[in-house]
Amino acid sequence: MDDAAFSRRKFSVGGPPAGWSRWNPARWLGELSETRYWMYLLLVPSLVLILGIVLYPTLYGVELSFQIMRLNRPGGNHFAGWSQYTRMWSDPVFWLSLRNTAIWVTATTIIEFTIGLVAALALNRNLPGTRIFSVLILIPYFLPNVVAGNIWALLLDFRVGVLNDILVRLHLLGAYKAWFADPNTAMPAVIVIEAWHGFPFFALLLLAGLKGIPADLYRAATIDGAGRFAQLRLITLPMMRTIIAAAVILRVIGLVNSPDLLLILTQGGPGRATQVLSLYAFQTAYKDFNFGYAGALSVVMFVLLMVFAWAYVRFSRVNEE
Amino acid sequence: MTEVFDRRTVLKMAGSLAAIAALPAQRALAAGTSINYWHHFTSQSEFAGLAAVMKAFAAANPDIQVTQENIPNPEFMTKVTAAVMAKSVPDTTMIAAERVADLTAMNALIDITDRVSAWPPKPDFPDDCWKGITVDGKIYGVPSFTFVDWMYYRKDWFDAAGIKPPTTFAEFRDAAIKLSDPAKNRYGFSMRGGAGGGNLIINVMEAFGAPLMHDDGSISLDRDKAIEAIKWYSGLFTTDKAVPPSAPSDGFQQIMQAFMTGQTAMLWHHTGSLNDISAKLKQGVEFGTVPIPAGPAAHVARVSYAYNGLMKTDHEDAAFKWVTYWGSADAAVALLQATGYFPASRKVAQDERITGNPIYEAAIETLGFGRLPPSFPGLAGWTDNVALPAFQSVLIGHSSVEDAVDQMIAGLDAAK
Repeated sequence: MDDAAFSRRKFSVGGPPAGWSRWNPARWLGELSETRYWMYLLLVPSLVLILGIVLYPTLYGVELSFQIMRLNRPGGNHFAGWSQYTRMWSDPVFWLSLRNTAIWVTATTIIEFTIGLVAALALNRNLPGTRIFSVLILIPYFLPNVVAGNIWALLLDFRVGVLNDILVRLHLLGAYKAWFADPNTAMPAVIVIEAWHGFPFFALLLLAGLKGIPADLYRAATIDGAGRFAQLRLITLPMMRTIIAAAVILRVIGLVNSPDLLLILTQGGPGRATQVLSLYAFQTAYKDFNFGYAGALSVVMFVLLMVFAWAYVRFSRVNEE
Repeated sequence: MTEVFDRRTVLKMAGSLAAIAALPAQRALAAGTSINYWHHFTSQSEFAGLAAVMKAFAAANPDIQVTQENIPNPEFMTKVTAAVMAKSVPDTTMIAAERVADLTAMNALIDITDRVSAWPPKPDFPDDCWKGITVDGKIYGVPSFTFVDWMYYRKDWFDAAGIKPPTTFAEFRDAAIKLSDPAKNRYGFSMRGGAGGGNLIINVMEAFGAPLMHDDGSISLDRDKAIEAIKWYSGLFTTDKAVPPSAPSDGFQQIMQAFMTGQTAMLWHHTGSLNDISAKLKQGVEFGTVPIPAGPAAHVARVSYAYNGLMKTDHEDAAFKWVTYWGSADAAVALLQATGYFPASRKVAQDERITGNPIYEAAIETLGFGRLPPSFPGLAGWTDNVALPAFQSVLIGHSSVEDAVDQMIAGLDAAK
């Protein structure tokens, strides 16, 4: 069979349909599949999926924030206007959580970025053992938050913590320290743990960015007498501006939205020393069963993140070339 | 021969597959009924107890397969809430007494009043037992075992110091101070100031005359008495130094570890820890058990019940068989032997293996005066999100006792 005959056999629709065959859905669908509208039809499932799993939950969350909805008060659900937001304004735990969130996210991101950059620069030098280190360095990031949290809870345990033991033996501590029971050390401890867990994210992205910088630039800079620090400041960082912006924004979003480690290590305590917004929203939803107020807290986090992303992109001038 | 699939053929095949998938599912009746069970057992001994009960149930009911799923206690309500919202609940679940109000308020449990009323062993369980799982006259579960609160104490330490186990809060505080020696990393009391510590705060306040729930069903907190209670309880940490420095973050694992590794002299918990502690310390020599000491206004020790209930009706007969099996003598004794949890059935509790063992004397005594924990919708949230952080704030010096109690009262008003 030649190509033309094959095409006719496969795709020819034949003569005008008669009777039932005209309205046969399979035939109708078959004919449609041979038109240019078919590709749009194929996009519909993806579009529906995206609308279903992204847009609907987002809008539902916003709608919840305007409701009084407490799961353990089934009869009392009703529209509440802005009352959840006005309550937030006078809620001291909200403001404390906002402050703690700012500390938690800022400190963690800075530490993670710094360690990640150092790791990426080291791995980019292609020294012996670089390959094995580039895998080893990712291990903390592979660990689920629950596992990482419990590992560190044991390492820093007041009674059996290995790190406490090491620090005492090195005379850096006089006695075992209850890190998560002291408000002065609880937040720094969880920040260090989160930084340990998350720095490979920066290392990985920044390493990818470093690989994309032409070596000629460094050679030219060396000829011009630029030292390593000058090269970092004048070539490396500016060339990676876009990737740094993307990494920082993604990481900040991750940190603001994820209370996992804090939930495992401190549950926001002692007192409210490590209470952050995501944890507060989680506890409000799943311990108070107050989904309305939790929804409002989540919407505020959403708006804050949008503002942050916009401001960061704008003020870092990442779009300017 | 090579088959050519054109688009129409593919569409026809997809249509046929969809039609087959839409046919009613044929259930393999011969395979029996499968039900699942959510629980929040934590320790090895509890898992051993659950395995023993499941084994005995399988032997007695070979046509019913039970699949258990463990959910850590702190996340239990989160998971249940999400399941209720998503309408993906299990067939059966464990129900702690303090969660009954919230679970029934969110319509998570099935009313099994008629089935329970027709269940012959029902009269073997004390009235309090049914009271704890009855809401608006409807019964939502079947008692499985009893949490009897008592106090573990280091008998060897007390003997060496020449003091008797305390019977009142005043004696308790004196003993805790005497047995504390921070230089040797020894403390009088394993205070649970972290996860799960909120219930103990409620007990102490009630022992000082500030209960949350009153006889008429109203909910409030007597400010002065609550302040007195929190001053006394937090004072063990802040002024007496009779509690490990880690207390503000110590949860169940930490207080158990502290007691079992010889850091603390006294521990408030229930009989369910007996087997774990007995595995590390020698009963009657290194440790003993006594009732929780009496407070200045009331002797508060909880005798609360764990229940099993139904969350959906798909396999109601099989599910009801499973939840009632926990009340049988075989299951109750198997669980007791593995864990130390007391049977909920009065009849089973008279078994000689219990009454003849001196270590259970304190628990049997507590059964005589112990009381049910308070239960009302919103209590769990108030306990974890308000009372505990407020108490922790006092421990770490971020808040005065008065401010903490005021936060608790304000939080209680909002939770009601």
